[in-house]
Amino acid sequence: MSVYRRCDGVTRRGSIQLGLGGFLGTGLVAGLQAQADNPDGPSPAAKATSCILIWMDGGPTHFETFDPKPDAPAEYRGEFSDIETSVPGVGFSENMVRLAASLDDFAMIRSIRHDQGNHGAGNHYMMTGAPPRIPVGCGAFVSFHPSMGSVAARELGQDNGLPAYFSMPRMSRSGGPNFLGAQHAPFVVADDPNRSNFKVRDVALPRELSETRFTSRTELRSKVDRMLRIRNEAAGDPSLAFDEYYRQGHDLVTSVAAQQAFDIHGESDEMRDRYGRDSFGQRCLLARRLVEAGVPFITVYDGGWDHHSDLFGALKTRLPAWDNSVSTLIQDLKERGLLDSTLVIALGEFGRTPKISTWSGQSKAGRDHWANAMSVLFAGGGTPGGTVVGATDRKGFSAVDRVLSPENFVSTVYTKLGINPNKVLYTPQGRPTHLVSDPEPISELL
Amino acid sequence: MHVILLHAGFFPPSFPSPLYPPMPMPRVHSVICILLLLACHTAGLSAADPQVDFENDIQPVLTRFGCNSGPCHGKARGQGGFQLSLLGFDSDMDFSSIVKEGRGRRVFAGVPDESLLLAKPTGKLAHGGGVRFPADSTEADMLRRWILQGMPRRIPDAPTLTGIRVTPDSVVMTPDATQQLQITAEYSDGSTRDVTSLASFQSSEAPLAGVNERGLITAGSLPGEAAVMGRFRSHIAVCNVLIPRQSPVAESEYAALPRNNFIDGHVWDKLQRLQILPSERCDDATFIRRATTDIIGRIPTQQEVDEFLADAAADRRSRLVDRLLQNPEYADFWANKWVDLLRPNPYRVGIKAVFNYDHWIRQSFHDRKPWDQFVRELVTARGSTFRNGAVTLFRDRREPEEITTLVSQLFVGVRLECARCHHHPFEIWGQEHFFSFAAYFAEVGRKGTGLSPPISGSEEFFFAGTRRPVLHPVTGEEMQPAPLFGEAPSTEGLEDIRESLATWLTSPDNHLFAQVMANRVWTDLMTRGLVEPVDDFRATNPPSNAALLEALGDHFRDSGYSIPELIRVIANSHVYQLSSVPNQTNEIDGRGHSRHYRHRQRAEVLLDSLSQLTGVPQKFAAMPPDTNSRQIWTHRTESLFLDTFGRPDPNQDPPCERTGDSTVVQSLHLMNSEELAGMVTNSEGFAREFADQKLTAEETAKALYRRVFSRDPDTEEMTLVTGLLQAEGADRRQVIEDLMWAMLNSAEFVIQN
Repeated sequence: MSVYRRCDGVTRRGSIQLGLGGFLGTGLVAGLQAQADNPDGPSPAAKATSCILIWMDGGPTHFETFDPKPDAPAEYRGEFSDIETSVPGVGFSENMVRLAASLDDFAMIRSIRHDQGNHGAGNHYMMTGAPPRIPVGCGAFVSFHPSMGSVAARELGQDNGLPAYFSMPRMSRSGGPNFLGAQHAPFVVADDPNRSNFKVRDVALPRELSETRFTSRTELRSKVDRMLRIRNEAAGDPSLAFDEYYRQGHDLVTSVAAQQAFDIHGESDEMRDRYGRDSFGQRCLLARRLVEAGVPFITVYDGGWDHHSDLFGALKTRLPAWDNSVSTLIQDLKERGLLDSTLVIALGEFGRTPKISTWSGQSKAGRDHWANAMSVLFAGGGTPGGTVVGATDRKGFSAVDRVLSPENFVSTVYTKLGINPNKVLYTPQGRPTHLVSDPEPISELL
Repeated sequence: MHVILLHAGFFPPSFPSPLYPPMPMPRVHSVICILLLLACHTAGLSAADPQVDFENDIQPVLTRFGCNSGPCHGKARGQGGFQLSLLGFDSDMDFSSIVKEGRGRRVFAGVPDESLLLAKPTGKLAHGGGVRFPADSTEADMLRRWILQGMPRRIPDAPTLTGIRVTPDSVVMTPDATQQLQITAEYSDGSTRDVTSLASFQSSEAPLAGVNERGLITAGSLPGEAAVMGRFRSHIAVCNVLIPRQSPVAESEYAALPRNNFIDGHVWDKLQRLQILPSERCDDATFIRRATTDIIGRIPTQQEVDEFLADAAADRRSRLVDRLLQNPEYADFWANKWVDLLRPNPYRVGIKAVFNYDHWIRQSFHDRKPWDQFVRELVTARGSTFRNGAVTLFRDRREPEEITTLVSQLFVGVRLECARCHHHPFEIWGQEHFFSFAAYFAEVGRKGTGLSPPISGSEEFFFAGTRRPVLHPVTGEEMQPAPLFGEAPSTEGLEDIRESLATWLTSPDNHLFAQVMANRVWTDLMTRGLVEPVDDFRATNPPSNAALLEALGDHFRDSGYSIPELIRVIANSHVYQLSSVPNQTNEIDGRGHSRHYRHRQRAEVLLDSLSQLTGVPQKFAAMPPDTNSRQIWTHRTESLFLDTFGRPDPNQDPPCERTGDSTVVQSLHLMNSEELAGMVTNSEGFAREFADQKLTAEETAKALYRRVFSRDPDTEEMTLVTGLLQAEGADRRQVIEDLMWAMLNSAEFVIQN
């Protein structure tokens, strides 16, 4: 069963039985048709202006997070039990306490599957919506298509001096701009916001430089930079672009708003505690601050989900904090009235094998790569809370109900951000490329 | 009645459309009869009209209105379940797609207007692509007639298209003027036909001379040259458009221009056509900075500037070029360009293999290896990845299909990638060309351990092995090796058939081989290519100065494919030495090379220059001390600076071209990077040492300007610097640091003038 009763007592199937389905359905088709007629226009489903992507690199287990299989035999079920969520009939794994209690605020997709069972390829597929063009190995970092973040940066832009795409603490694999060009690469904030001396690279003055000296240097620079500028645009003088970016950079450094966005120390201790005093929690908090400053796309890269061994031991310590940080992020955005305009998405490149395995040389069991099923958390931007889309089979082998593709997922993100997933981009070679080859979004989330 | 007889045969016994449930046959006929008569009546058409041919008449309509273009039904998965071959290169496929597939709904002979083929593009039914042409257009009539005539695949004895011509084929226009082109198709029976309305048009320089879908050229407001292509079916005809500047320049002005070598004459010829005059010659300070960054990839040292500016000899510039070409840094810098194009990801291909490949490329430039020898050694490489770095090409590109595109693009400027899956949309290349070229690599044998990312550390051997047939993906036919054009030596009896390919590639008769490299080197020195993109040579992408490109290619070939000689001849030309500052006639010139075009310096040039002028060396992981960034063996080597200023993503497959764009991230990095700030203020660095020197304020200013900007300060700058140094309570070291910071953050440092 993929259709669950929502807290207001009306199931989606119920709404169809009430005769609303036809109306809604027509509306959707008409909307999409309008979009096709006006290929670059935003979809009526466009609600979000920002997206926080929590990238669980390595491929998080769906069993121990959002898709437990309590009735499966022990070698599939694992060591954790399931707990009830705020949506009757839907269970999460036992460590997802706070998220389970607040499922009304977000949606789960349990039925995305694909065919790329190694890290390099899986990352690329989920991060860009395009399967890798050639076979790709596990350790590979590949790029054949622009990532969601780079596309959002290009399409939504940014005019207040802040970069449009952030990635913390590093760029995710395949998170780059590919043919869109370096100006749409993520701005990487490598430093750890949980450290007391945290600051964002290059945006704050170097540590030893006083503000007075910076000001006098800037004045000096305006006197020293005397290369003749060729003002006629037809002349294509690159120093004009240099000036423009220099001005933007200077604005960013001197902009109170921008500096405030980065100043995590401006948060109260109470708020910082709420998010959790670890690197991941504080990055979630920083992401929220960036959303407030108008940044369209922020990737919070969260590595180490490749639990081939010691799955249960590792998750027992990790998941409670993770659950707390992510649920706090969603709650905090909601309290600030930002959840309607902000997508929060958490996923990795694939799910993990149903049957628990212990590799030779290892004493503690884990699960291996499994692209036939995975769980994706999807919140905000008008996403109907409490929705659970699709289902895997009894043992979690495979998405079986409402099977969806990475293309559907990425199209949903784009649609919510007001970007037409069917848009045609041109590579520098002039080759037309669809933003997403299957532009069908997941209708339940719109 | 003959109408019905003609069409009855087109209906399968059980017409399978769900819209029309099966009916007893006689009734179907009577219904059709009525509908047909009705349709014929309303449309004013009858089947007795001139016969419509699928290839000659229908496919051109589909192409003309973009139905079979890449973003629509021409893409590999079609659109809405309806797929056509890209731009109509496969008539059989298109015919079957229209007539046989789609459960008969695409063409409905009973009522042509009910056919999806008509109802969709005319807007009668919702169409994702919108209304392409109205129901009462000649195009709609053409489709209607063809359906009515029974949708013949080919009319018996229909002539075949042999070529097209465009009239006029060259035109001189004034700004904002218009010119209508006419496309005439020529057929095998000697007949011709005006197909202007069915042709599609494209301009090589749309801002200079735009062309609309009907073949009407409108000149822009700027002078320049453009090529306007007309395409009909697979044929292309080009009209050359010249828009000269409207205030004529006296012929004597051109005659008086300096001609250092053949390059200048060809550029002046082009400028004369455009009635544009070149800028002034740049000064010596600009020249040494330009030539040094272009040839060895860093700014000149203060000492080099001192020596050059003190040199009064008339030939000081050409002697500087010779000195630079002798400098070992020349090799690392030019290798640094070629590794972008060849060197793969070590995580995929293996560290040792990639390291050896990098070394092979680098050493080839140190040896001043002739370009033909470089290419021959590379494409015929054999042996172990642990001993001959060149074979790593084959370790990386393991299948004939993978290596084909790289070889054709890099060495003859033919982008075959499109032709792997479909006919090249702008060119003559089809799958048969792709796969017969690929067949040259069918006998590359290998032994050892293949790729096992992320380590791939094992040794692998490559040799002339047994043939693994290369098959045409559609026909399944085994392809025999064949060059893309011209003649290649037979592969019969050759131990390694790649020798035949290498001979063809590097043959003196293969003009593209020399021209592609000449164009690359030209672009590196002149900022803008004669052909752009640099490795996309085709009739539909003509060079901005064909005579010059040909002469450069010939010179390169006649010099024994010497890259240093190619650089020397370009750098010695007067054109290379022009100022970037425009005059009244050439501000708008973008491709004529009437002035030096500025560009942002490459990431490595900036970083190595920064190290040099701050006196603080870089440290790169797993490289010896004092390594500079041009010497790094993989783009995986961490460097925030290089990432910020742009280098190929190490995960992307080579060949990778870089963009030289500025970004806000770069500005921020120059402004605030701890690392850069540290280099300027380093206690072991230049600023500290320089501060301790007993120099006058004037001497200090001059030394600083020569060190950072490769020139002397002018009066205003001298006043500024001496004023700062002599101000009360001035800290000499701090003033020097602040000045250096300000200079490094200036356009003059980042952009080549």
